[in-house]
Amino acid sequence: MTKRRQMRFTIIRSLVAILIALLVATILIFISAAGATFQDKLEATREALKQMLAGPLFRFSKKSGTAFEAKRLADILAAMIPTIFTGLSVCVMFSANQFNLGAEGGIMLGAFITAMAAIYMPLFAGLHPLVAVLLGGAVVAVVMLLPALLKTKLNVSEMVCSLMLNYIIMYVIKFLMNTYLADKSRGQIMSYAFRETANIPPIINNSVFSGAKLTWGFVIAILAVILCGLFMYRSRWGYAIRMIGINQDFAKYSGMKVGGVIVLSQLLGGFLAGAGGGIEMLGRYTNFSWSALPGYGWTGITIAILAGNNPYMVPLAAFFMAYLSKGCDLMATYAKVPAQLIDIVQGVIFLFFAAEQFLSGYRQKLVVKSAQEEIEMAKAQKEGI
Amino acid sequence: MPDGKTLSAEEFVVQMKGITKVYPNGVAANQGVDFNLRRGEIHALMGENGAGKSTLMKMLFGLEQPTSGEIIVNGEKLELTSPSVAIAHGIGMVHQHFMLVPSLSVAENMVLGMVPRKSGIFIDRAKAIEITREYSEKFNLKVEPEAKVVDIPVGMKQKVEILKALVRGARILIMDEPTAVLTSQETAELFVELKNLKNQGYTIVFISHKLNEIMEITDRLTIMRNGRSMGVYNTCDVTKEDISRLMVGRDVVLSVQKDKAVPGDTVLKIRDLEYVNEWHKKMLDKVSFDVRKGEILGIAGVEGNGQKELVDMLFNFNVPNSGTVTVNGVNILGMPQRKIRELGVSLVPEDRMLYGIAAGASIEENVISDRASEKHLNNGPLFNMKAIHEEADRLIKEYTVLCKSRSQHVGMLSGGNIQKVVVAREFSNDPVLILADQPTRGIDVGATEFIRKKLVELSRSGIAVLLVSADLNEVMELSDSLIVMHNGQIAAYFEDTAGLTDEIMGEYMLGLKKQTEEEVRRACHD
Ligand SMILES: Nc1ncnc2c1ncn2[C@@H]1O[C@H](COP(=O)(O)OP(=O)(O)O)[C@@H](O)[C@H]1O
Ligand SMILES: [Mg+2]
Repeated sequence: MTKRRQMRFTIIRSLVAILIALLVATILIFISAAGATFQDKLEATREALKQMLAGPLFRFSKKSGTAFEAKRLADILAAMIPTIFTGLSVCVMFSANQFNLGAEGGIMLGAFITAMAAIYMPLFAGLHPLVAVLLGGAVVAVVMLLPALLKTKLNVSEMVCSLMLNYIIMYVIKFLMNTYLADKSRGQIMSYAFRETANIPPIINNSVFSGAKLTWGFVIAILAVILCGLFMYRSRWGYAIRMIGINQDFAKYSGMKVGGVIVLSQLLGGFLAGAGGGIEMLGRYTNFSWSALPGYGWTGITIAILAGNNPYMVPLAAFFMAYLSKGCDLMATYAKVPAQLIDIVQGVIFLFFAAEQFLSGYRQKLVVKSAQEEIEMAKAQKEGI
Repeated sequence: MPDGKTLSAEEFVVQMKGITKVYPNGVAANQGVDFNLRRGEIHALMGENGAGKSTLMKMLFGLEQPTSGEIIVNGEKLELTSPSVAIAHGIGMVHQHFMLVPSLSVAENMVLGMVPRKSGIFIDRAKAIEITREYSEKFNLKVEPEAKVVDIPVGMKQKVEILKALVRGARILIMDEPTAVLTSQETAELFVELKNLKNQGYTIVFISHKLNEIMEITDRLTIMRNGRSMGVYNTCDVTKEDISRLMVGRDVVLSVQKDKAVPGDTVLKIRDLEYVNEWHKKMLDKVSFDVRKGEILGIAGVEGNGQKELVDMLFNFNVPNSGTVTVNGVNILGMPQRKIRELGVSLVPEDRMLYGIAAGASIEENVISDRASEKHLNNGPLFNMKAIHEEADRLIKEYTVLCKSRSQHVGMLSGGNIQKVVVAREFSNDPVLILADQPTRGIDVGATEFIRKKLVELSRSGIAVLLVSADLNEVMELSDSLIVMHNGQIAAYFEDTAGLTDEIMGEYMLGLKKQTEEEVRRACHD
């Protein structure tokens, strides 16, 4: 099958998956839409869909009509910063066939450590965020040693271990915040303010970019994507990670250090999640006030699966998720539809991507056509000679 | 002389017409194949690996659906959408790889999916055992109904598979390479059983590429090559040479020319290797021998006599209870595979799908797996992609791997080409010692010949080769000297393979004869 045909198939499959998901969403919106008559409900559904699909980029108003909203686009891009990092983190860990679910706790711990460094380490601007974020990443990397070593040395399930780890991390942070670190002068549990020097500034200082918190973190995230891609596809370590993921016995027989490489992939995954948390913290907040797992790690898993564990596809998947999330928020605000609907839409889309045999009939047709052409070509060549 | 034209349609239990099958990966495995079966015959389906035999039969059994063409069973045109439809029409299949549940007993496996129930939920074990006994006696296929499938020998597993099909009412039995996994005695038993079934009116399709077997038990044969049928013949009308020519399109050179070996220093030195497996069976018993530079030392023997365990020790997939193994004087027992490879040891593993390749990775990624960290393929922290592409292309060309490009997934290649990818890697890393474990098992004649020639060529260039093979023809043909293993011991050592006959080998392989300790000691050259 030619590359082009394969590409066309992939694109068609993605579009159909999204279409079906939207169809299901539409039906659900219609059912839950406010309105007494069928006409009303239809109108409400139309409004909701408009907000969900176009809302993330356009503002609709009765007076001035439809207008492009740069702020909303910047919001979406800013929302991608933490999920690109968790997406990359999960990509690297899953590539080694390790179902480590620790990105969720990892990003919270990274955010926390970075926040502490931003509060308590006196450094000068420029160096401060760098050190704080690296420290956040490094601590999470070290914590990920736990599931990684338990797996490689004792064959303990990394999935169970990392899942539990998330909650341990969350409660330890809550405990530390409540008992030692909270600024008691505030009405709710939050830390003291970060030092000014630790701030990650917006890319451009205007109302759109700073309002949306579109900071240099976004540029760093894109850099991380490129570095991760190079690491996974163009370096011997990434290669070893992928081979171990495909066939561990083969990797061992080939002479790769299987245990070491698995640990490396988990360390790196931990670092990415932790650093992502740190960057999010310093770009968006002025003190640490997270009291629960932020959810970016779970989104990261979805993103990694959508991206097929390919780092280069992570920004696309992250954009899609952020767009969808923004659309659903707007729908909830302006069209009075429950925001929980996003989970359903996500679930449906996810289902279609995960189901491998999906549209296999169509694929089969393409393949048959390809093979027939090849046979014909071979024949023609033979006869030509 | 192709026949079948003079017969009327009623005489065929199965007619497959113009069958074309294109797999989702684009492989056209069958192209316009015609195939028919007469009632009560044993019909051979022959062809090299990848010719499309299994594919054709999977369609008859409803496991795959044809892209085009029709299937007529007992005069009725059928849509065989699943195996249950095929079974309902009296078609049964024994697969190349057994499909039994290892943790269940023979009787439980027999009735799986058609469970006789006592009270709704629970399997009626007594009934299952009774059914198994009844069929076992009726068809004279001896099995132990109460034994767990994990514990029974391969030959018996196959009988269970056959009985499973018969219990479900099969009148047409498809056997996909049934003898590939059997010892010679088991094969002989199987043939008696198949003839017995034939006499009771059963129709049997027998897939194989072993010429002797075909000549012995089949009535007619269909030959496939490259997804096409090369015709139907009465077995008595054709010679082995005819078949071989039709299968590969040329006369196969079944013997490999080689100069006399000039053995050099000892490379691999094994002394007093002992191993008792987890079921307390002594698998290796005081095994000692040497392999020298420039020679091929063959290890023959019926499978399960310690060969697998021996190779496992040599590549640290297991550790012996006692004994020593050195390569050029360095002890390798318990050494990580990476270190063993650094000493220049290569392994063509017996189980190529498990160890030899990563099926989901490209050919390129597969051929560099042992050298990905080497300097010449890297530029600082990154791969030198140009060097890697060149390496892959060079190996694909040198080892004539049939593929679309270096980025094609290895899992999509045929068996012979997969093995070529493995040997391309293992032979090209400047080895001092090559361990070749069943290097040509189950692959096509072309690839077999290629790999055998390569082994001889490499040994003559000064590499030590240890060849373990259950294929008697192969070990006798390729080896300079030869060891026969029986019951974990070296039963015989032959300095020179000239003058050895199958009969002599057979006596040692089956344990009828055994050399004295002094004679066996000659395998050590110190
Ligand atoms: N499930 C499958 N998907 C894709 N290709 C397949 C599949 N099974 C077999 N093939 C390909 O079809 C061809 C014929 O295979 P097969 O029927 O197994 O041959 P044989 O049994 O004669 O060795 C081979 O090239 C093989 O790689
Ligand atoms: Mg086959």
